[in-house]
Order: sequence, then structure tokens, then C-alpha cells
Amino acid sequence: MSGRRVALKAIDWMAFAERVPPNQKMMFNALKTRSDAVAARLSALPEKPPVIDWSYYKSAVAKAGMVDEFEKKFTALKIPEAADTETSKINAQEQEANKHAVAYVQASKARIAQYEKELEMFRNMIPFDQMTIEDLNNTFPETKLDKEKYPYWPHKPIAEL
Amino acid sequence: MLSRLVFVSAPVLKSTAPLGAGLVQAARSVHTSQQSLAPVPALPEKGGKVRYGLIPEEIFQFLYPKTGVTGPYVLGTGLLTYLLSKEIYVINHETFAAASIGIVIVYGIKKFGPSVAAFADKLNDEKVSKVREVKELAVSNLQQAIEEEKKEQWRAEGRQNLFDAKRNNVAMLLEINFRERLHMVTNEVKKRLDYQIALQNLQRRMEQEHLVSWVEKSVVKSITPQQEKESIAKCITDLKMLAKIEQARPTV
Repeated sequence: MSGRRVALKAIDWMAFAERVPPNQKMMFNALKTRSDAVAARLSALPEKPPVIDWSYYKSAVAKAGMVDEFEKKFTALKIPEAADTETSKINAQEQEANKHAVAYVQASKARIAQYEKELEMFRNMIPFDQMTIEDLNNTFPETKLDKEKYPYWPHKPIAEL
Repeated sequence: MLSRLVFVSAPVLKSTAPLGAGLVQAARSVHTSQQSLAPVPALPEKGGKVRYGLIPEEIFQFLYPKTGVTGPYVLGTGLLTYLLSKEIYVINHETFAAASIGIVIVYGIKKFGPSVAAFADKLNDEKVSKVREVKELAVSNLQQAIEEEKKEQWRAEGRQNLFDAKRNNVAMLLEINFRERLHMVTNEVKKRLDYQIALQNLQRRMEQEHLVSWVEKSVVKSITPQQEKESIAKCITDLKMLAKIEQARPTV
């Protein structure tokens, strides 16, 4: 019947708050308020229940044996702990989230690599006042005039001039 | 002008082009990778230098070692004299027309040349600056995007906290439940014992009260009417006596 002491992991809410993206701030606030409420409830409850003064009751209650019977049954009683159904679900969620996060980080890295490549292209580019039109077409393929589709000057639809 | 650029050789350009190394036009089309053609030579800003608007500077440089400074002039004069005297070039009406037109053209170019050139340059500069702006914007956007991606990665690292918080919550709730059960059991047992005690107390009190009231009732019943009259008379005499004592007292 002693209190079961499960080690609660200390959570740094400040650091956690920093990492929350702005579009999830509401959910984070809700979580925090809930957690704080639960923690407050926990700290409000004393760990051990008040001790029953058996000697007083033995002297006060006239019926013989009743108090002794109560005392015996009381000390023998073991309070069952509630079954923990949620932790496994949370662990499963965590695995999912880890997978997603790893995938996201990989995609993010791929995006960064692409951006880096484009940046490299921009950095290695010759300055514009040293370019010829041919160089411009090589660097930015979208500037190349399509002479087959529009054989007559200005080689692009008039609307795009 | 463009054809002259093609014929130009490297040492000549070095002395004339204000922008550094010489350039071979053909090489620019083999513009595959930076490594094979590093560094990229600059485009020349102006065309080949020309004296008197007609005769390229290269001829003067070519003849300088052999004939000195006056060489090309002597050559020119001699050539002109030969052409005129042998009537290879015939002076006729067209000559005067050509001369007048030439004078006007030269005057026009000398007067308006620079301003037109400046205007064309301005147009070009505008284009270049616009394109450069686009490039700057693109570069800054890319850098910002990279920053944001890195930030998002850092954010994703903090996902552990969420699950820790959830598990903590679950543990706390279980603990609360357990403690509440403990408390409930203790309180219930206490309540039962207290009930017994209260029951006992009530029993005793009721017995006492009942006894007392029964005794009172029996006493009252035992008082006969005769005794009642006697006790009332005695009370009256006592009262009279007390009144007399009271009247006698105020003089004290």
C-alpha cells in the first residue's frame, strides 16, 4: 500500500517552447495548461494517507473485536494500481513521429542541397556586364529565344515583350 | 567593329583594352566548365583603337620599328600622290559631294557622338542593374530558405519533449488515481469507526435523557394536590417575609 514512485522526467518547458513552430503554439499552450493542472493536482495530494489511531478506537468502541478486525483487514489490504493503457500507445506514436521526422529531415536536407547548388551557380556566375547573349542563354536557359517556334523577330509572342 | 575584334591579337589588346587580359572570340563558345578556362577573361569595353577614324592603330605599330613615327604618314602621302597623279582615282563631281558629306558626317559625330553613346550606355546599365537586382533577390531568397530549413530541422529535434510530457502526464494521472484510492480507503474505514462511536454515544445519551425524563415524570406524578397547596402557601409566606426584609433594607 505504499505509494508507487515512478520517476517523472524533468521537462524544460522553456526550451520546449522555443522549438514549437508558430502554427502549433495553441496546441502547445493547451498541453502545458493540462500538464500544469495535473501536476498541481498531484502536488495537492499528500503521498501518505492520514494514519488511523487504532488505540483510541480500541478504547472508544464498545463492541469487542470490531476494531481489531478492522485493523487486521486494513493492514492486509493492498490497493491495486490502475492499469497503464496509454504508455504503449504513446510509444507507438513516438515511433511514428520519429519516422516522420527522419523522413522530413532527409527531404529537408535534399532541399538544402538543391538550394546550395543554385547558390553555387549564382556565385560562380560571370558578372552580367561581362556576359554575351550566348552566355546569358547558357546560365538562364529560360532566356533562350525559341527560333523554331517563332521564326520571325522578336522570336517570342508579342504579349511577352 | 566586330570583325576587328576577331582579328585582334593578344598583345595588342593588352595595350588597348582597358579591362585586362586579351580575348579570343572563338574560346567563348567552348564555355563548358570554369576549370578549363579559368579565369574567364573580360569582354573588351571598347573596340580596337583607330587613328583619324579610319586607320587602325595596328598599322602604325607595325611600321614603327622600321620607319619610326612618320612612316605611316609618308606611306599615306605617297599612296595618295600615286593614286591622284596616275589618275587611278579620278577627281570628278562625286569627289566634292563625298567631301561635303564627309565633313557634315564628321562634324555630326564629333558633336553628338558622346551623348548618344552615354544614352546607349545608360540603357544598358538599366538592363544590367535590373537583372542584377533579380539575381540578388534570388540569392537572398535561397539563403533565407536554407536558414529556414535548418531551423525546421532543429525544431524537429525537439519532438522528444512532447512524448516525455505525455508520458509524464500519464504517470502523474496514475499516481493521482492511486493516491486517491488510498485516501478513499482510509477515509471510509475511519468513517465506519466514527459511526460506531457516534452510535454508541447516541445510545448513551438517549438512555440518559429517557431516564431523566422518566424520573421527572414520576416525581411530578407523586406530588398530591394536598402537598401542592401546602407548598404554594409556604411560598407565599416566604415571599412576604422577603418583601418585609427588602422594605426594611433601603435605610442602610
